[in-house]
Amino acid sequence: MVKAAYNSSQNFPLSVLLLPLVLTLIGLIALFSISVNQFGVIAITAFTKQLLFMIPAIGGFLVILFIPKYIIHKYIYFAYGAILLLVTVPFLLSTIAGTHRWINIGLPVAFQPSEFAKWIVVVCLAKYLSDHNLEIKKFRTLIFPILIALFPAAIILQQPDLGTALILLTPVFPMLYWVGSRPFHLFILMAPIFSIGTAFHNVSFTSWAIIMGIIVYIARPNLIFGIVLYFVNIFLGLLAPLLWNGLRPYQQKRILTLFNPELDPLGAAYQTIQSKVAIGSGGFFGKGMGEGTQTHLKFLPVQESDFIISVIGEEFGFITIAFMLVVFALFILKIVNLAYYSKERFAGLVLIGIATIFLSHVFVNTAMSIGLIPVKGLPLPFISAGGSFLLSCYVMVSLIIKMGMETIE
Amino acid sequence: MLKSKNLVPRSRLFTVYFLISFIFIVLLIRFAQIQLFEYKQYKKRADINSIRAVPVSAPRGMILDRNGHILVDNFPTYILTALPNEVNKNNFSIISSCTGKDTSLLKRNFKRYYRGRFIPSRITKDLSFDELSCIEEHKNELVGINYSQLAERSFPSKVGMSHVLGYVKEIDRSLLNNINSDFQYDVGDLIGWQGIEKQYEYLLKGAKGVSYSQVDAFGREVGLVKEIANIKPFPGKDLFTTIDLGLQKTMEKLMSKYKGAVLITDPSSGEILSFVSSPDFSPEIFTGNTSLHEWRNLVNDPRKPLLNRITNGLYPPGSTFKMITAIALLEGLMIEGDEIIECSGIYQYGDRLFKCWKVSGHGKVNLDQAITQSCNIFFYQAVQRISMNRFINLCRNFGFGIKTGIDLPTELAGLLPTRDYMNKRYTSRGWSRGHLLNMALGQGDLLVTPIQLSVYINKIATNGNTFVPHFNLNKTPEPVIQINLKDQTWVNVQNYLFNAVNSAKGTGRAANPQMRGLKVYGKTGTAQNPHGDDHAWFVGYAVKGKKMVSIVMLIENGGSGGKIAAPLAGSAFKYIFNNNLDRIAINNGKSSI
Repeated sequence: MVKAAYNSSQNFPLSVLLLPLVLTLIGLIALFSISVNQFGVIAITAFTKQLLFMIPAIGGFLVILFIPKYIIHKYIYFAYGAILLLVTVPFLLSTIAGTHRWINIGLPVAFQPSEFAKWIVVVCLAKYLSDHNLEIKKFRTLIFPILIALFPAAIILQQPDLGTALILLTPVFPMLYWVGSRPFHLFILMAPIFSIGTAFHNVSFTSWAIIMGIIVYIARPNLIFGIVLYFVNIFLGLLAPLLWNGLRPYQQKRILTLFNPELDPLGAAYQTIQSKVAIGSGGFFGKGMGEGTQTHLKFLPVQESDFIISVIGEEFGFITIAFMLVVFALFILKIVNLAYYSKERFAGLVLIGIATIFLSHVFVNTAMSIGLIPVKGLPLPFISAGGSFLLSCYVMVSLIIKMGMETIE
Repeated sequence: MLKSKNLVPRSRLFTVYFLISFIFIVLLIRFAQIQLFEYKQYKKRADINSIRAVPVSAPRGMILDRNGHILVDNFPTYILTALPNEVNKNNFSIISSCTGKDTSLLKRNFKRYYRGRFIPSRITKDLSFDELSCIEEHKNELVGINYSQLAERSFPSKVGMSHVLGYVKEIDRSLLNNINSDFQYDVGDLIGWQGIEKQYEYLLKGAKGVSYSQVDAFGREVGLVKEIANIKPFPGKDLFTTIDLGLQKTMEKLMSKYKGAVLITDPSSGEILSFVSSPDFSPEIFTGNTSLHEWRNLVNDPRKPLLNRITNGLYPPGSTFKMITAIALLEGLMIEGDEIIECSGIYQYGDRLFKCWKVSGHGKVNLDQAITQSCNIFFYQAVQRISMNRFINLCRNFGFGIKTGIDLPTELAGLLPTRDYMNKRYTSRGWSRGHLLNMALGQGDLLVTPIQLSVYINKIATNGNTFVPHFNLNKTPEPVIQINLKDQTWVNVQNYLFNAVNSAKGTGRAANPQMRGLKVYGKTGTAQNPHGDDHAWFVGYAVKGKKMVSIVMLIENGGSGGKIAAPLAGSAFKYIFNNNLDRIAINNGKSSI
């Protein structure tokens, strides 16, 4: 017993726990800086809230850590069913902040079930793919995993919460790739999205058409299939703007609000400009804690969650941003490393899925705040304020440790 | 198959490594570009060229009377703000000498409105032009001190209906944490805190706009931003009330000598035409710089001017309650139309003696006479035929013991003593039907509000088809709780009320202004109470053609209802039906009479 415990502690990937704790600390310092200058620290600030949220986060971490792996593997489909119900529940309740994302649990804070859908879908996919790994080279095997992720994503999209819905879909492709499906098959699935997405911009559409041509040429599918695939995509792209212009303005607006429900009343450009000015003016060393004029003049909206990186950038400078990005990179690379060396396919897949979730959060959040992509409200793991998300993140850390314990020597 | 092997080609691992590293390197390069290479440019923008979204408050909607006369308006005043980051608090003495306001007050305000180092905090308001120019002269010493305009509530029509209009309150930091509302409020915003201002906050409030201005790192505005369009504030909606300004002022004048209440309504719609709770106070007391002394006087005034007597004052209704007993008798067929009871001025029940107000007695009276002359002995005897539960139910059907639903934030339900209540208060052995005898006369434990009496008389006036009393002219009237009585009962009670005002022996004769074509109905009341002299009541209504108004008149400790309240009601009717009827424009043919 003692020996077994010792052995398992030998395999305990400590860095997977330490790196998130470092990130949480950076987040708390940034939140403290926002809170401390709001005169009179008595009020419940984002900082004190986040400190309190650490309790359920550690609780969740420990609970998952002590559930045996085979139990998770065996019952994950039930969890999947439960989460489908849970993300539907908010529709039956009154809206909070105009959306159906939260469930009021009688506490001062509401609970957001869609956060938990993220990792449940990943574990669910991992089970399905590890159970059906033989036919993976066939195209039709790809369809079912996509449906697994698509179901909850479709429900969450109606809440409306495009960010979380997209995050649910992202792990599917890396996991399929990891388990050995042909890259070209994945390309076929993703091509139409790019075709429509780039259709509204001449240069990007032309570039996409060229890239697509090269890929189809390299992959050398059946000639007729290749030609059909290529032209169907081009046709889709050409058709999209026509269809769009055929819509009435109110219909266009409806679609736009579906895809950007958080459309800021002050205008999205305002947020991006303010965020860039904040980060840019921070320079190499930053302005110092509590000294960020952009932050404390309240130029930055949602600075405690979606735009927390602007606070860090302004007050603690490039050096801290770089350090933070390196920590994130090490953390995610370590997860992939564990995935490669894990003994079982199931564990490996879970790890790859979680790595994708973390990576997409980090990418979307940081890229948005420096104007690389349009504003999309997604929090930064371990750093942004938010109870459900922090809990979810630490549950995922727990899953990483659990899945990463048994590795090939 | 938990145990299926994890066989991934090494090439795939490296591809994934490469992709992840690539993403992070792109991010890192972008941050380096912004923070290191373009640092100077952004630093400059942050220092001198920041954009700030400043909320622009929306003008609050006006409150008008039924003909569009302004009751509550907005009035621009100048306020003085201090920027915490820059201001030198020692210079507050200069401001103090300019405005005559104490430095301690300025400092207190400064703290109260503090929101952050770079956000101006209000230190005083209501500056006159002279005070402003004095401050302008010392501009160089007063760094960080600025002035701006603020819309305040004003009351151009000089009515005293503060209980109804309510007031707005400015939100300070401690209040902000305690507001529970769907609307977004900020420090310095106005919020409806009482009366109509609170009830119709959602209409009056409007929506704030946003103005983008360029500010430097210290929050000083340096100009407007051209790239982003400002969002205009959306003004609050004006609220037309059912009040008639002329009638209201006349009634206020009439009541200025008395402690009490007048409520004039249109029974056919529930519209409140005049609402006087006297003594009242000027609503302006909540806007200007009211001194603590003035405020204390108001709070400690033994005449209780802050009490809204109509909705929150509790009184025994006295003889105005007798119609309920009459209706109970008529409905239960417990009395023949002209059954006669002898009134000798005194009546013994058990070991208690009950007296009539007329010491010599009324002699032989029937139900009609008993109401006309307000005979107590008749009711003492007749009420014994009615079961208590039935009586209480009838009272409740007329709206006693429950809130009327008037569109004001606060209202009391009064006290309707049920069997349970009596058992609790006196234990089941401690009370007897003697208490019921008292209740039949509107005395004892029974307590009502004037607004309840208004609904009661409106029900009688319209055969039960009246509406909930309200102030919002554009609101669709809500019907009151249905009450089903025989047609003959309504007719009888209305006749009794007519006789009480019109017959030679009627107690309410003084309520009739004797005008052609005007029929006046009503009942007086003289209610004993533990606070001194009797309260004088008159409840009634007047009909001319298809137009009808009802009145509830209360003079606290005024003595006899017939002598004090009825004549005042008469003057009210006289004003309304003497040329003013068209303007007051009550009734559009909905009346049942």
